[in-house]
Amino acid sequence: MTRNEKILEVKDLRLYFKTRYGAVQAVDDVGFSLGRGRSVVVVGESGCGKTSLSKAILRLLPSNVDTYKGQVFLNGTYVMKLSNERFRREVRWVKAALVPQAAMNALNPVIRIEDQIAEPLIIHERASSKEDALKKARDAFQKVGIPSAFLRRYPFELSGGMKQRSAIAMALVTNPDLVVLDEPTSALDLLTQANIMNVLKRIKKEFNLTYILITHDVATASEVSDDVAVMYAGQIVEFSDAERFFKNPLHPYSEKLMASVPTLKEKKTLGYIPGQPPSLFKPPTTCRFAERCEKRFEKCEEDPPTFNVENGRLVKCWLYEGDVKNEE
Amino acid sequence: MPEMQVDTSKTVEISNKKPGKPQSNFSRVLKYFLLRIVALIITVIIGVYIAILIANMGGAVDDIRKAQIREQIGMQMMGDPAFMEIPAERRRELMREMEEIEFRRLGLDTPFPIRSFIYLREALTLNLGRAERMTSDSGSRQVRLVILERLAPTMLLMVTSFLILFFGALFFALFLSRRYGSFLDKAVIALAPTSAAPAWFYGIFLILIFAAVLRVLPFGRMVTAPPPPDTFSYALSVLRHLILPVAAILSSAIFIVTYNWRTYFLIYSSDDYVEMAKAKGLTSGLIERRYVLRPTLPAIVTSFALSLITQWMGNITLELIFNWPGIGRLVFQAIGLYDSPVIIGTVVVYAYLLAITVFALDIIYAIIDPRVKVGAEEARR
Repeated sequence: MTRNEKILEVKDLRLYFKTRYGAVQAVDDVGFSLGRGRSVVVVGESGCGKTSLSKAILRLLPSNVDTYKGQVFLNGTYVMKLSNERFRREVRWVKAALVPQAAMNALNPVIRIEDQIAEPLIIHERASSKEDALKKARDAFQKVGIPSAFLRRYPFELSGGMKQRSAIAMALVTNPDLVVLDEPTSALDLLTQANIMNVLKRIKKEFNLTYILITHDVATASEVSDDVAVMYAGQIVEFSDAERFFKNPLHPYSEKLMASVPTLKEKKTLGYIPGQPPSLFKPPTTCRFAERCEKRFEKCEEDPPTFNVENGRLVKCWLYEGDVKNEE
Repeated sequence: MPEMQVDTSKTVEISNKKPGKPQSNFSRVLKYFLLRIVALIITVIIGVYIAILIANMGGAVDDIRKAQIREQIGMQMMGDPAFMEIPAERRRELMREMEEIEFRRLGLDTPFPIRSFIYLREALTLNLGRAERMTSDSGSRQVRLVILERLAPTMLLMVTSFLILFFGALFFALFLSRRYGSFLDKAVIALAPTSAAPAWFYGIFLILIFAAVLRVLPFGRMVTAPPPPDTFSYALSVLRHLILPVAAILSSAIFIVTYNWRTYFLIYSSDDYVEMAKAKGLTSGLIERRYVLRPTLPAIVTSFALSLITQWMGNITLELIFNWPGIGRLVFQAIGLYDSPVIIGTVVVYAYLLAITVFALDIIYAIIDPRVKVGAEEARR
């Protein structure tokens, strides 16, 4: 019964947006899964569909959705077929919570922090009374390391790092199965970033938290994740456990991405990738990275399938066609 | 309008990151209100003083009045045969004496700059003196009575239309922000420029349609003549007379105000915390109330306060069109009759009304926006 252990399973997820020029394929045929207590970091350059992926999983869709389909299982529930109202009651914040991009603006400026953190408990009837909900909010606040006196304050009285931690506390308050962190540190200074990452690490260890961390900061990603998913042009091109990925990235794009990360110890010139990601209006029928790839060969004219290599690493590149273990 | 701005200079000590120190909100609110009151009183004093200077044409009205008195006394003497006997020299002297007495009686012997401050004191204490030509309906010449008698109808008209405008536009705007880009939304945007025409302009058309052609509503006035004897039918009659002027005010303002506020709602509902609220699983009604309406309310109250202030003054012509027995029409009549005590009196009353309105809005503002209470360290983000 593998499904029971899997908190999240995504298959053929697609999210296209309508625009004046046609449909933008922000998330195109994405699939991966996540076991309980594991964390995956989604990396990729800006505009590759990382945030759209999180929106697709959480069904936080803007009004210009063109196509939204695929399969998403959250803790065994096929959530894609739930109605909006059932999704709201049964999934939102109970099964899956969000720590948004720029958490500075994630808090309502005219409501006290404690009321905002306790709110999901009251909405989803996870607390017997308002007092109980506030007590749980205090507990969540302690988990992320903010003195509970700040609960009585308004968001504008908190610093950026504290707001970010409050947002994390808010996501933890209902003990959801899955937390999606969408670039939780990108608006913060380095020290505060490190701080938040430490909080995240600690929480992961103490509470066996399952989360998806979306970031373009590959360096910090290596610290806090079990798995790595590399996104390029709306697709996951590589999915691997972190240890092997950081030692030896498989996909040519992953290699390039890792080469662009500055390190202090080694002397090296930072790598970059020539050219630009393809337009997502009409993505090429070739491999999407082919145009910028140094290792391209004839086969790259065709879109590669995802190959399962090295015992559980997934890579979408023709180079690894031969490495597939023939299991069936 | 400087009154509506949040004073950023005074409270900078904020958010000292020491937890546990409960902030004495009450004393801060009190301090805030006291400062607001002082600022408003100064504003009223300056406004009234300027009104006194203008109404007296910086003292030139004195010369006009002196000349009028001289002419009057001269005419009086000419017409009186008893004075014909007296030699011209003595007659001129007598005339001068009578003028002096009359000047002193009216206080015209004190130089105008000094008198202007006496006027100011009297005006601010609502000791508005006697009207020169106008009388109140009860026959009094007391300016205070003349004005107070007209205050109630104006308040009735304004408060009714403001309340309807505020809540009507608020819900309409919320409704439209939910249906962004719909036909109704586009229609309201298209109709917004119609607010360039003032309320009285629409008043004329409303009278034409509903009073002259359809004959369903009265042309003007506040009650039927003679007034109905019992209270109930009196109130009913006032209500009937209220419909057209209120409709005129609404039609001149509702579209622009709704357009304005709908845009506020759209801007605020694209904020991240609204999406968070959705992710948290709040119902759409709750999101709208707590995460769109509440944060937008301060901006809306400000914009409404600004429009209130222009509406107060803009209603002179409207009252005239509808023959409404309010302050607006009184001002119009007083200007026509050069009755400066009445003109200054109405300005004083208007100044007080505005100050009270602004102060009330300040209180509302402080209640709905926690950032004002603690001192405004930052504007929105």
